[in-house]
Amino acid sequence: MLSVGFRALFRREILRFVRRPKNTFMPPAITNVLYFAVFGLILGGRIDEPVPGIGYILFLVPGLVVLGTISNAFENASFSIFHGRWNEYIHETLTSPLSYAEMVFAYVGASAVRGLIVGVIIAVIGRLFVPITIANGLFLVATMIVIAALFAGLGIIGGLVARDFDDLTVMNQFILRPLVFFGAVFYSLTMLDPIWQYVSLLNPMVYMVDSVRYGLLGYSDMFEVAPAAFADVAPLVSLGVLTALTVVVLAVDIYLFKIGYGLTD
Amino acid sequence: MPPAIETTDLVKEYGDLRALQELSLTVEEGEFFGLLGPNGAGKTTFINTLVGLVRKTSGTAEVFGYDVETEYQQARDAIGLAPQEFNVDRFFPIREVLMHKAGYHGISEEEAAERADEVLKRVGIYDKRNERFDWLSGGMKRRLLLARALVTDPDLLILDEPTAGVDVQLRHDLWELVTELNEEGTTILLTTHYIEEAERLCDRVAIMNEGRKVTVATPDDLKTRGTDTISVRLESSAATAPALDGYAHGVSLSGDQLEVRVDDGGATAPQLLHDLEAMGHEIADLEISRTSLEEIFVDLTRSEDRTVTRSSASDSSGGADDGAEESASKREPEREQEGVA
Repeated sequence: MLSVGFRALFRREILRFVRRPKNTFMPPAITNVLYFAVFGLILGGRIDEPVPGIGYILFLVPGLVVLGTISNAFENASFSIFHGRWNEYIHETLTSPLSYAEMVFAYVGASAVRGLIVGVIIAVIGRLFVPITIANGLFLVATMIVIAALFAGLGIIGGLVARDFDDLTVMNQFILRPLVFFGAVFYSLTMLDPIWQYVSLLNPMVYMVDSVRYGLLGYSDMFEVAPAAFADVAPLVSLGVLTALTVVVLAVDIYLFKIGYGLTD
Repeated sequence: MPPAIETTDLVKEYGDLRALQELSLTVEEGEFFGLLGPNGAGKTTFINTLVGLVRKTSGTAEVFGYDVETEYQQARDAIGLAPQEFNVDRFFPIREVLMHKAGYHGISEEEAAERADEVLKRVGIYDKRNERFDWLSGGMKRRLLLARALVTDPDLLILDEPTAGVDVQLRHDLWELVTELNEEGTTILLTTHYIEEAERLCDRVAIMNEGRKVTVATPDDLKTRGTDTISVRLESSAATAPALDGYAHGVSLSGDQLEVRVDDGGATAPQLLHDLEAMGHEIADLEISRTSLEEIFVDLTRSEDRTVTRSSASDSSGGADDGAEESASKREPEREQEGVA
């Protein structure tokens, strides 16, 4: 799997965003400093603990980490693919002897790395505002890798189907962000009426935010709102489903590369 | 050894348009092969089918015996492509662009760096190695495309209009370089609009039109297929053109200037002189014009069926040779976006 060709493309993709911190790492860092300052410090001081024992600013950390991670993983993959298509330099990759799976794993891997780096930056910023003790480290790492890879994989699809840069903006601003914002980033599901709790369970982002919150803080809304038979193992089930979904998305990516969707005539 | 390129009944359809029509072509290993044809003939579509940028509709295409779709990795590893379009990674200095391309072909980072330096020196832009693509002049960009094709040390070098829009000096530099490469054993497939280029460089040429192969021959063979013109200046004007049945394809007279089109000017001239003198004409001067490859090319492609037109389909598909203009026009708004994410 880790052929020289794969490593070359992976390295190229990593260097692309690492060399442009003003475009890639600075914006989410500044945005999250503002989130923590305004929602955490200024407003958070006036908001009761969303769940017992967890202050509002601490409650925010996992959701903002997820928001930053998946947005950047998606954005990196979709931009890299679409920009390469638009300027046609993706031909350098497509005319190479790399297998389609190697191409996809290199793009997804690098984009997931960017998402994870942003997630860590946001967690570090959060730590500057509030002490954090990681509750379930292994589970947290596994969940973060899975959701970063999932959204990097979705970003590949976005980059292949987009016809112009506006399409990328639409995907990120009008689909991704609303789902994340209604994914219990800024509130606990326990604060909602039961009907909205059940509606929220239809939003896949809820499970991602909740899983990361469980990994980071040891608390899961699912313990309270999920059906009783499922509640105790909810985080593990969520991780399992997300992993399966990621595998499916990566398989779709490879298939699209194989048929040349959006890439060849 | 299998041929460098072998296609059989290769078809590419864009909706109702057949950009390649049952194209069967063989390019032998070590050959310098030219593809000639007007815009929309299918030359770029053919090339892109070999490198994986176009998926064929039917037929087979092999590179050194490897099927371009089922054994695409081996086929692509053998090919170095210098395309018409400036499709170069704009994020990195050109030396790194070449290193990345070499890396994709399985060449270690250390060796890739050495090769990048080597090919940059070979095409004469080593001093620009730390510049990004956008800052190069047009001629340097063209050289870089060649360097990128060479950095993987390909067995088959494909050059798609390599000298389009370049100055005379660069054109001669490129000719010299590709001739050297061919002499070193690299098989070369060249597409060009410049007949002189094909005539000068190629062992054989294929003339394509409307996705079809019109003919394949050596440039010399092709030239024998045309008609020569014998221009005769008579001592005095004649009233009517002499009848030269049997060998003349056409005779025109303007005052004392007589032009006779024949198959082989050199062989026919003595007979013509004899006949004219027998008719009472006195010859003041005679000149034989050999058919140029360009004239033969025009004849061959003009006589082809033009009921299928390329322009209508390329608007919707962006498929073949017209892609260069499309690429150029769509790049403009992109610059504003570059580096955003």
